[in-house]
Parts: sequence; C-alpha cells; structure tokens
Amino acid sequence: MKIATMLGDVWQSIWQRPITQKYPFERLEAPVRLRGKLHWNPEKCTGCALCNKDCPANAIEIITVDKKEKRFVMKYHMDRCTYCAQCVESCRFSCIEMSDEEWELAATDKTPFTVTYGTENDLREFMAKFADANITTPAS
Amino acid sequence: MEGVLSITSLLFFPGGLFVVLLGLFYEWIDRKIIARLQNRIGPRWFQPFADTLKLLAKEEVVPTGVNPVLFIGLPLVALAGALTAALYVPMAGIRPSFSFPGDLIVTVYMLSLLTLCTGLAGAHTPDRFSLIGATRGLTQLFAYEAPFLLALLGPAMIAGSWQIHDINQYAQTHLWFMLTQPIGFIVALIGLMGKLELPPFDSPEAETEIVAGALTEYSGRGLAIFHLGKGVELVIGLTLITAFYMGGLGNPIYFLLKTVGVLMVLAGLQSLMTRLRIDQTVGMWWRYGAVLVLAQWLVLYVLQLV
Amino acid sequence: MTTIPMPTKEKFIVPIGPQHPALKEPGHFEFAVDGEIVTDATVRLGYVHRGIEKAAEARNWTQNLYLVERICGICSHIHALTYSLGVEKLAEVEVPRRAQAIRVLVAELERVHSHLLWFGVAAHEAGFDTLFMYSWRDRETIMDILEALTGNRVNYSANVLGGVKFDVSPEQCKVILTGIDFLEERTRHYLNVATSDSMFLQRTRGIGITRLRDAQRLGIVGPTARASGVIRDVRVDAPYAAYDEFPVQMVVETAGDLEARFVVRLKELFESFRLIREILANLPAGDLQVKRFPRKIKAGEVISRVEAPRGEVFYYIRSTGGEQPDRLKVRTPTLCNMASVLSLSIGHHLADVPMLLVGIDPCFSCNDRGVTISGNEGNGRWTWERLRQFGIDYYARKV
Repeated sequence: MKIATMLGDVWQSIWQRPITQKYPFERLEAPVRLRGKLHWNPEKCTGCALCNKDCPANAIEIITVDKKEKRFVMKYHMDRCTYCAQCVESCRFSCIEMSDEEWELAATDKTPFTVTYGTENDLREFMAKFADANITTPAS
Repeated sequence: MEGVLSITSLLFFPGGLFVVLLGLFYEWIDRKIIARLQNRIGPRWFQPFADTLKLLAKEEVVPTGVNPVLFIGLPLVALAGALTAALYVPMAGIRPSFSFPGDLIVTVYMLSLLTLCTGLAGAHTPDRFSLIGATRGLTQLFAYEAPFLLALLGPAMIAGSWQIHDINQYAQTHLWFMLTQPIGFIVALIGLMGKLELPPFDSPEAETEIVAGALTEYSGRGLAIFHLGKGVELVIGLTLITAFYMGGLGNPIYFLLKTVGVLMVLAGLQSLMTRLRIDQTVGMWWRYGAVLVLAQWLVLYVLQLV
Repeated sequence: MTTIPMPTKEKFIVPIGPQHPALKEPGHFEFAVDGEIVTDATVRLGYVHRGIEKAAEARNWTQNLYLVERICGICSHIHALTYSLGVEKLAEVEVPRRAQAIRVLVAELERVHSHLLWFGVAAHEAGFDTLFMYSWRDRETIMDILEALTGNRVNYSANVLGGVKFDVSPEQCKVILTGIDFLEERTRHYLNVATSDSMFLQRTRGIGITRLRDAQRLGIVGPTARASGVIRDVRVDAPYAAYDEFPVQMVVETAGDLEARFVVRLKELFESFRLIREILANLPAGDLQVKRFPRKIKAGEVISRVEAPRGEVFYYIRSTGGEQPDRLKVRTPTLCNMASVLSLSIGHHLADVPMLLVGIDPCFSCNDRGVTISGNEGNGRWTWERLRQFGIDYYARKV
C-alpha cells in the first residue's frame, strides 16, 4: 500500500522537455515504408487492371488510350484511397509505388484529389478524347 | 474620499477586476504546471482569458423547465459571494479593505456560497447529470467544510482573534504556523482542494460519469461566471492559507511567491491522485480529517491552558 | 463493496450515451439508480452499425481483406489475420513460415499497443489523468515501431492473402528491441502502480467481482475471462499462424475484480515482449508470400478463430466457388463481454460504472451488427431493397 506511486515520473518531468512536438513547426521524418500518395509508371504497365480490380476503395481507374500499343492512362482518386498498398502488391510489373514523402495531402477543395498519370503524349490524347471537367492540371 | 476608495476597492483593487484576472492567471499556472508534470506542453498564458471571453460572448441557452431568473441569477450570486470574500483577505499582501472582528467566519462562508449556488443551479435544472452533480457537490460540502474551518481556526486561536487582519499581523511576527501546526496546514491545504473540487475531490464534476456535474446545462455567460467565481475562490483560498500558515503576507512580493508556491504543491498533489468516489471522500474527511484537526485543537487548547 | 439496492417505486434513470465523455464510441446505456447505487441496467447498441458483413458479399476476396481490417480500429491486424487465415484454409494454401511468424510479430506488437491504450483509458475513467498521459506517451513508442515496420500507425495492412507484405530488416529488429526494452521497464512500473497505489486500488480492488461460474455462464472471453480464472486463450488452445512454433504462456488470475483485469492485461504485455524477442531472434527463413493465390476460391465453408487483445475473434466464411465470399460472419469479443457489464453494474456505485464498462475493454464499432428479424415472408436472405423497405415500414409503425 503506497501513495503517490507516480511521483518518480512527475519529478522527472519537471527537468525534462515536454514530449509533445509542435507539429507544423517541428517535423519528424516519415519512415521509409510509409504509404503516401500513389505514383504510377506508365512505361511498364500492360493494362491488366488487377490494381483496379483489387482496390478496396475503387480509387484507381485504368483508361485505355491505345490497346494495341499498350498505352494507358491512370486516373487516381486520392480522396477515395485508403493507402493500403494492395495495388502495389497486385501489380506484377511493379509500376505502382507509394511515396513516403507526400503524405500531407489535405486540401481545401476536391480538385487536387483526382490525379491523372500517364506519359505526356498519352495524356494529351486522352484529354482530347475525353474532355473531362474534373481534370485541371494533370501530373506527369 | 472614503466613498471613492470603497468603490475602487470593490470594483478594481483588491476586489473586483483584480481578483478576477488574478484568478484566471492562477488557473493558467495550475494548468501549465499540471501539464508539465504530465510531460505535456500545456496551454499558453492567454488560454483561460480567451476561454472566458469566448464564453461571455456566447448566448446563454436557458433550458425548458427552469426558472430563468434563478438560472441566470445563481452564477451572479456565486461570483458576488466570492468577490465579497476577497475584500476581507490581505489580497496582494496589503491591508484588507474591510475588516471587523469575526470576519474569518464570514469569509469562509462567503466562499461556500459558490458551492451552494452551484448545487442549487444543478438541483434546479431538470437534467439528471446536473442533479447527481449537485447532490455530490453538496454532500462533499458537508464533508470538508467543518475540517477546513477548524483548520483555519487553529491559528486564530493562537493569535487570539477571529479577524483575518489580526491573524495575518500575528503570523508575520511569529514562527510559521505551518511548523507549529502541521496537521492544520495539511488539512487546510486538502480542504482547499475539496472546496475547489480539484482532483481527487472532483467527483461532483467527474466527466467520465456525469459529464460536467451541476453545470452540465450551463453553456454561455453562466458557465463563464461560475468559472470566474472558481478562480476568485482559488486566489482567496491560497491567500488565506498563506496568510495563516506561512508567516503572513506583508507585501505583494511575498504574496506572489507564497501563493504560487502553494499552488505548485496543489498542482503536484492533483497530478498524483486518483479521483475518489463520493462515499470515499466523505468517509475520508470525517474519519481522518475532522478527527485529526480536532485532536490538534485539543493539544493547542491544553498547551494554552498550561 | 456490493451493496444491496433498496427497492424504490420510481426509477431515476441516468442515461450514458450515445454521446458521453465516458464512452469513446457511441452506445447507449441506461442505469437506474437509487442515490448512488445502480439498481438496473440496460444497453442499446447499434449506433455504428456499418453493414460490413453485407458489404463483404459484394467485394472480392482481396478487397475484403481491407474491409474487415476496418471493423476495429485498434485490432485491425487481428481482423485481417483472422480473415486471411480462414480464406487460406478454404483455398488450401500453405503460407510460408516466415510470413506466419511476421504475422504473429505484428499481432503481438498490436496487443502491446492495445493493452497500453486500454490502460490509459482505464486510468482516465478512474480520474487518474497523470497515469493516462504517461501510458499514452509510452504507447507512442509502439506506434512508431508499427509505423516504421508496416507503413501506417493504425490500419497496418500487413497481410495479403497468402502471406505478408514486408520483411523485418535487421535495423528494424534493433529498433523494435530497443523499444521493447523501454516498454518492459515502463510496464513493470505500471504494474507496480496498478497493484500498489492505494488511491488507485480504492477504485479497482474488490470492484466488479466476476466469479468463475458467472464468467462461464455469461460466456466472457479474453483477458476479462482470464482475470476470473477461465483458462481460455485461442493462442494456446488452438494455435494458429506461428503460435505452435512460439508458444504462449497463459496469464490467469482468479480474483475476478478490476484489479485482476489490470494485472492480467499488464502481465500479458510481458508475455508479448518475450514473444516478440523470441520471434525476432528465431525468424524462420523462407518466402514472404505464396507465388500465386487463386482469385476464385472453391466452394466450402470454414471457421477461423484468433485471440485478439480483447478476446476471441470468430469468423465464419462460406464460398460458392466465386470471386466473392457468399457469407462472412464476424463475432467480436466485445459482444460476448457486454452482458457482463450489465449484470455486474447492478449493486455498484454509479461512479464505478465507467470503470466496469472500461474493464471489458469495449469496442463498440466491432460489435454493432444487424439483427435478423424473423418474418413470414420468404427465406432469411435480405436484399438491399427488402432491407430498405423493412426500415421504412419499421419506423412508420413506430411513429
């Protein structure tokens, strides 16, 4: 039977800096394995659309530009993505990876949440083909 | 001239505005120290002020089924009681603005007015959490009130006066009562924690059981005013304890050092204890608190006779 | 501490929830009190029913892995593990040993995180905020480890069907071991606090005593049951994943009060630390995943049981040979333990009720589920249309 068993901790804290980080001003480095924004490499893609099929959140659309030449465009819905990295597992040609740096993805409107990946050429063709109001500035 | 001085002391210094602001400042010190003891950063200095300003600016929602006059009036009475008590204590280490023989009793009961008003406000609201909170608050009042008063009467008995100013004068010229009456000091300190409903005596407002206790239905100005009243009570309680037990309060510097010192001890105690159930609180006060203080009283009485 | 309630004519009911500071998730309890003593208790659950079981029938086997992971925010890995173990059994796929060991490693790390989280919450309910702050500060260590290991703090997504996603590198081993050493020292301290701080013990010792008989009758599971002397732990009784290779010592107490629940959970932490060290030292060699996991799983049914931090998680999975499960049934431990709160709280002080509630480590989102209402029309299968129509009729009748 004792009282004040936390005295040791409390005493230590007097001489110690608070553990809390002042986040926007002090940042910790994110671990390498952190699952952030998805990146897609159009060069290797064969258009099997397994990533699309296995995505639990329907965040990925693979759109065929030219089937014969295996040219595809990926529309990635960041706001639906649950960052589970199943697409990275499903892709047999390892053309999908998740960034460990881009994880502060909040925005004040929804436009930046739809990202279109593809080569510049494909994107231009895609834009001409499907004029879509949702896409403003396609990332490369 | 007399009238102007009275009004000034009533509204600005040492009563009124000064105590209210000091109360908020002490609340910040308390929160900051507890945060640091818990290895957190804690609020910035203006947090209590900002909270109070925000609450004061908010609309007061009067729930259906209550008497609006009582609902709005009770916080005012509570604050008024606390502010009246501030006039009789050596606030900031200067001579109390008003003083008469026996003002110690008046001060202690003016302080209880806050708890009483909180209890009435809770019992008056048709909200079940408020009702339980009020019951607990009033039950607790009966537990700590007697030992707390007895603890304050110890120095009064030695000083031979029930006037706060006289006791303060006596304490300044003699050995600290804290050393000669250690039991009284401890009981007074813990009694103050009970009076302010600080942990471990916060069962009247235990948030994990009854949300905010008696003040559950208060949302705007009423809540802010109760809050201010509590801050004032904190300052007065600290002043009383330091004036009685810690060698009196001769000047503002002593006042600041001693009260903040006691506040730090209070913060330390708060961070080390688990909330007591209401039955445990009452049991503890009557089983140990009251008995110990009475024993000390007996000793003092016998020593005085000898 | 149990006091016999006085009979009263009128009930004074204290509602706790759906929004209440004592509850971290919505649930509704009504406690009839006589003064401070609880005389009656009822519960109404279902505020966070999300229809996950139904949703699972519309998704393929892989997508469901992430759906079930979101049943519980705290034991997310456990749900994904139970599901993938079941599906792998159904598909008759042999998962590499290394993958199984890593699954157990993540499961044990998660148990450490869950128990420390619970410890903090319980301290907060008891009104001991300092203990709450410190235990959550130390819990950050395990959160950082999990983030570095799996890539996320909460929904780790460590599993894929037929294995795990990642390996444990030697540097990570070192980080984990340092973290574990620190946490072991802290846990020893917390065990000391929970068993010797007289003010804290006033709120836990002798409160909510569940005898072995009652625990068995009410079907209590997990650490709550083990605190009452029930010798039951799926990790020991029916070892899954790599628990046959890394056996667990069961922690059992017999007192059955809140203190015993604290002791059981904290002692389980030591067991987890030991297990984590053992796994890291003897990680079996091998692949991380099977080469190819079938997209269609042949018809059949399977049950899968796993010991979550809160008790036994039970899955029933049925396949008709397609890409999607035909039925997925989940039973979470909180559902088994909820009845004990109601029967225990009668006769206790109102102030003890939050402690009793938190004593079972409740997780409301896990246990909320739809209820099948037997009607005259048709079979037991509910289509969306029928469910919607039923809801409309139900509320029309009520109003």
